[in-house]
Amino acid sequence: MSAVVTGIGVVSALGSGVEAFKAAMQQGVNACAMHEFERMGGAKAIAPAYRAVAPDAKGLIDPRKLRRMDRLIRMAAVSARQALNMAGLQPERGDVHASRLGVVFGTAYGAIGTTQEFIDSWLKNGQRHASPLAFMSSVHGILASQVALDIGATGVNLTLSQRDVSFEAALSSALSQLESGRADAILVGGADELTGLLHEFASHFRYVESGPTAGCDPWGGEGRAIPGDGGAVLLLEREGGPRRALARVEQARVARHDTGREMLDDLNLAGVDLVTSCRGGSRRAFTLENGRSRVLAKRLAAPELSHRGNFGNFPTAGALQAAVNVLMLQGQVFAPMAAGRQRQDLVAGCRLPRRILHDAASVTGLHGAYVLSAV
Amino acid sequence: MPSPRIAITGLGFVGAVGAHVSALEAALDQERSGLGDLTLFSSELSREYPVGQYRGDLQADFARLVRPLSAREAGRLSRSDLLALVAAAEALQMAALPDMARRNAGVYLGQSVCGTLSSENYYLDCAAQAASHGRASPTHLDRLFVHDGANSGDAIAREFSMGGPMASLMTACSSGANALGLAAARIASGQAQVMLAGGADSLSRIAFLGFASLGVMSPEGPRPFDAARKGMCVGEGAGMLVLESEAHARARQARVLAWLTGYGHSCDAHHLTAPHPEGLGAQAAMKQALADAGLAPSDIGFVSAHGTGTLDNDKVEALAIARVFSTRAVPVSSTKRYFGHTLAASGAIKAVLCVLALQRRRLWPNLGLQKAQDDSLDLVTQARPAPRLQHVLSNSFGFGGNNAALVFTAGDRP
Repeated sequence: MSAVVTGIGVVSALGSGVEAFKAAMQQGVNACAMHEFERMGGAKAIAPAYRAVAPDAKGLIDPRKLRRMDRLIRMAAVSARQALNMAGLQPERGDVHASRLGVVFGTAYGAIGTTQEFIDSWLKNGQRHASPLAFMSSVHGILASQVALDIGATGVNLTLSQRDVSFEAALSSALSQLESGRADAILVGGADELTGLLHEFASHFRYVESGPTAGCDPWGGEGRAIPGDGGAVLLLEREGGPRRALARVEQARVARHDTGREMLDDLNLAGVDLVTSCRGGSRRAFTLENGRSRVLAKRLAAPELSHRGNFGNFPTAGALQAAVNVLMLQGQVFAPMAAGRQRQDLVAGCRLPRRILHDAASVTGLHGAYVLSAV
Repeated sequence: MPSPRIAITGLGFVGAVGAHVSALEAALDQERSGLGDLTLFSSELSREYPVGQYRGDLQADFARLVRPLSAREAGRLSRSDLLALVAAAEALQMAALPDMARRNAGVYLGQSVCGTLSSENYYLDCAAQAASHGRASPTHLDRLFVHDGANSGDAIAREFSMGGPMASLMTACSSGANALGLAAARIASGQAQVMLAGGADSLSRIAFLGFASLGVMSPEGPRPFDAARKGMCVGEGAGMLVLESEAHARARQARVLAWLTGYGHSCDAHHLTAPHPEGLGAQAAMKQALADAGLAPSDIGFVSAHGTGTLDNDKVEALAIARVFSTRAVPVSSTKRYFGHTLAASGAIKAVLCVLALQRRRLWPNLGLQKAQDDSLDLVTQARPAPRLQHVLSNSFGFGGNNAALVFTAGDRP
């Protein structure tokens, strides 16, 4: 069984909402800017990053509910509402039974800012006076639960954490739940937030650029990845429903790539005319990424693109790439010269795709892939 | 085409009562609780609330089962990772999978606390430095490597060279049960023949102080479904199970310990931490699991309750069980007083326990019960033989109103 995408939602450094995202992608905007991060002990650091704009919740989420959501949850919940709106699916109207509507999210670090807030609450006030609200909101699984609470979805509710392929893991699980008939519609998304603590961690290990930069350069291999954050959601439904299908999701898999087993063997790659990857430009990942490009080139005569130069590099940036892929299959966004230098031999002959393989292999040993096609 | 039946061919366990399934069986038979003082880290509240802490040496356990870990390797593993690895090693040994089957097998792991015991150490060190010197030198940043949720599943896949589907499920205290249900779905859909699935979580300051901040911890330990219950206590542990398609298990003549026959899952969408007052989500999960197994409520011979010992959970769970099965229709027991609430591991450890109940046709008592909260449940007050036990149901509920139920069916006789 295939599932179709009927709506998308995005909150990123390129803006809040699909229209803003689409317009920025069409113009090849590189959203990298200098941001201030607070280090442990209170020192400040200025560094380049792709930090998401404040989610525009107006008309989407009740302000009383919004006040109880931290930044990560807001990005996820607003993206989810955008996707429902685009599809014209209103849970409150009963367009789909609440028990058949699911929420599946991927996040690598979850609400790490709120976790820090919880620890600070007992350091400041004593262990007997830790903040219960911060504790409740710090739990990883709260991401999908909060979105479900907002829209009243009582069906499948999962949060997955799979480092750089957390979104791909969520997509794979959502697809499996639709296939097994446990849901009729699932909001599947990815969200992560960049905090001062995470930035400090990444800087210490030289994962990220610390000086002024022009942004991620996916094929550069000379610099470091520029971090970012944001969230994106796809509304997946069983094929043949009343809402307009934007793209078809055929297969999605997550496994390790260092066990000698090639996951692409499990996928039907016939007709794939574009590959998107998670190249971010880091020196650390360059050898692996070039290796994957060679594997892909052997199997497919298709160009390879990465849009991390537009919206940054973070564990669930795959969700934003999925939104771009849906827009490309719709013919609405086509940016072979995405921000950052693309390799000319890989983008030569690039044309509007009909079938996209997304291949995300990371230095952590994880590998996520899915096939998305036009309808 | 009908879905293949899911065979359980291996079990692994670590918890406050010891490591290995034999330790779990001994504690159940002796009706012995593993709860005690918190010594894993210091806390102002450590003398006020007992915990379910594993007292053994996880690295030594792993060395006995598999191989010694180098200092560098051990430094990159959190306590949760080690708990998961030890339970995984036992389950894989019990299943005696051929190399090829293991290489194609997937890993689905439920987690919640993950590596926070390590990352909070880093954070507290930095905070202390900042308080005394005005700035922090991040000398413990490597501890953040093990913070994230994928680490334990990843460690298992790397150690045992498992190349199949992977997922780390984070649905709070229902994570382990959801990992099992979703792993079974991978086999049912033909994406895998073998999956290693379960849950693992260590104690951490965040969980200990977090539940204390909610006012749901009991100074006397949990007394599930008791009228005078005062709350829960946190524990740590891991439960792992090897799942196989029936055809795969039969082809290699593996002994089927039990079958995983049903899975139900729902979300209350009601409150961040409080269950729906009528247990609608819990009822939905149980009904789905029964439908998935093709069983009627009257087919179930035992319910392994989530039974945390908190006022809210036990009241609502009893109501939900009574609505699905009708009043006092099925024996019910919670095992939280044996090893505490092991959070994401809870559903997986209960799965191990359900398989043992089916294997041994025996029900273990709901420790800590003196006077039942009401008359709605047939609570198991002392060990009970169950010679005709054929199907059991296990409940797991988590923050965010996340509900999961699993149905297990008797396998080959020992």
